[in-house]
Amino acid sequence: MLVQQLINGLSLGAVYALIAVGFGMIFNVLKFSNFAHGGVITVTAYAGYYVAANLGWSFLPTLAVAILVGGLLAMLVELVGFRLIRRRGGSVIFYFVSSVTIGMLLENLMVIAGGPTFYAYPDMLAKASYPVLGASVSTVNLVMLAASTLALVTLTWVLYRTRTGVAIRAISADTVTAGLMGANVDTLIGVTFFVSGCLAGMTGMLLGMTQTLFPQLGRVVVKGFIAAVIGGLGSLGGAVIGGIFLGVVEVMLTATIGSGWAPVLLFLILLSFLAVRPQGIAGVIAQEKA
Amino acid sequence: MGFYSSLTVFTGLTVIAVMGVFVLTGMAGLFSFGQAAFMAVGAYVAGLLAIRMGLGFVPAVLAGVVASLAAGLLVALPVMRLRRDYFALATFGFGEAIRALLNQSVGITGGAMGLFGIPVVTQPWMVVGAAVWSVWLVRTLKRSALGRDWQALKTDEIAAEAMGVPTYRRKVEAFLISCGLAGFAGALFGFYTSYVDPAMFGWFRSAEWIIILFFGGINSITGTVASALLLSALPEFLRFVAQWRVPLYCGIVIATINLRPRGMFGDWELSLSTPGEVLKGVRRRRGLAQP
Repeated sequence: MLVQQLINGLSLGAVYALIAVGFGMIFNVLKFSNFAHGGVITVTAYAGYYVAANLGWSFLPTLAVAILVGGLLAMLVELVGFRLIRRRGGSVIFYFVSSVTIGMLLENLMVIAGGPTFYAYPDMLAKASYPVLGASVSTVNLVMLAASTLALVTLTWVLYRTRTGVAIRAISADTVTAGLMGANVDTLIGVTFFVSGCLAGMTGMLLGMTQTLFPQLGRVVVKGFIAAVIGGLGSLGGAVIGGIFLGVVEVMLTATIGSGWAPVLLFLILLSFLAVRPQGIAGVIAQEKA
Repeated sequence: MGFYSSLTVFTGLTVIAVMGVFVLTGMAGLFSFGQAAFMAVGAYVAGLLAIRMGLGFVPAVLAGVVASLAAGLLVALPVMRLRRDYFALATFGFGEAIRALLNQSVGITGGAMGLFGIPVVTQPWMVVGAAVWSVWLVRTLKRSALGRDWQALKTDEIAAEAMGVPTYRRKVEAFLISCGLAGFAGALFGFYTSYVDPAMFGWFRSAEWIIILFFGGINSITGTVASALLLSALPEFLRFVAQWRVPLYCGIVIATINLRPRGMFGDWELSLSTPGEVLKGVRRRRGLAQP
């Protein structure tokens, strides 16, 4: 039983880590918390459902569609919601409000498209569960764990071993100087949003498969935010640790005190974390721009 | 409860709460996604005291306000020293925690079923009076030394601190004022509808208040009040497109932020000298000599 809870916690944590990393990438570049990420998650979950249920596609093509839709949508979000603000050099507050609004907009467009009802993804995996160390673990959870790990490893490789990755890290350190050095800032920010949207697409589909599908699915982005804060905003490694920590704690709390009380305790944990170690586990403190 | 009287009440309550958001976000530059939860605290505490202990209207409303102030202090003290994002997150977490708490403690609050039987005391004229009073209060604050401190720390916190503004203290004060106003609106709300449930106070309501503020102009009380009146009354008359209400809202806000970031009214304030200024402008346009 404990092993099972632990693996469930790990796989939930892996999804939180995906959100936190997608969230953290934008935070690194534009220095604001992008809540539109949640809206993108919702839309991709619906897109995946449409392809899987209505067109009958199997698991991997569906995942590819969700990822692609997420990436393109996130680029569109950047174009509509953030580009003008960035051109004008507007303050962080505007990014923030814009992102929250876009998140809300996408969520409500999904309410209109699919109604407030719940949907369940069709079964796309051959076997419902596998025995692991004497516990039966659902395949979706294992897939979640594997897919998230793969995505994070790939992302790390891209960020640290490719030219584009180096350029993205350069603009996240200093946008203006990197631009002067010949980096195409608009394109790179577009790429960053695309990658972050791809992660959102993956998150959306995996969450849609484990939970049911409903318009408020994207609000899970807050968990990713909490994970990013616990891990240390701006550190991708910290985001992974924070996500996994949060997932395990949440599953354990739900198992012991029930899903009703878990949010209250999670809030207290968050509050004490902010009071004791605001720089997060990774310890990189994000400085407010003077 | 006729249509127009309930419309008046709900619009008035929105004005009161949005005035609180004006202090917090418009003047001090902080975001709270848990303001509706403070409204819930005000509504539940006032309602419970009235039902269980037979407390009168005025003391119950006061107790509701005090309770939301206490809750505000609980959130503000650990979090206000940190980045503004963290504050937004903590208030969001607080909002969700309050909702979970209200849903779970079925024995006291009635859980998700809601709290019934709060005596109906609030009249539309009271709400209008309270709204006018809160606008007056915030206007006074904006013109006081306190208001200038808030605007200074919103623009540049480090510079404000260097000029001797006690930024931490001022931020806590701004937050407490906004919590108090939200709790006040909540208590009046409970005494009008006689029924409250946790689903009424989700983070969407908090976000809606911020939207109202940004639409009107974050530096203008006049703009904020005008947009509160417009955006809370308009949907009631647009029931037939209810589904598109929120997307419409969002579209308006995105357009405002991108194209007219200072809001509809910018920094402009209505004041007693406004008629004179308008007249002057007309004269200038007609090419008349200034007296």
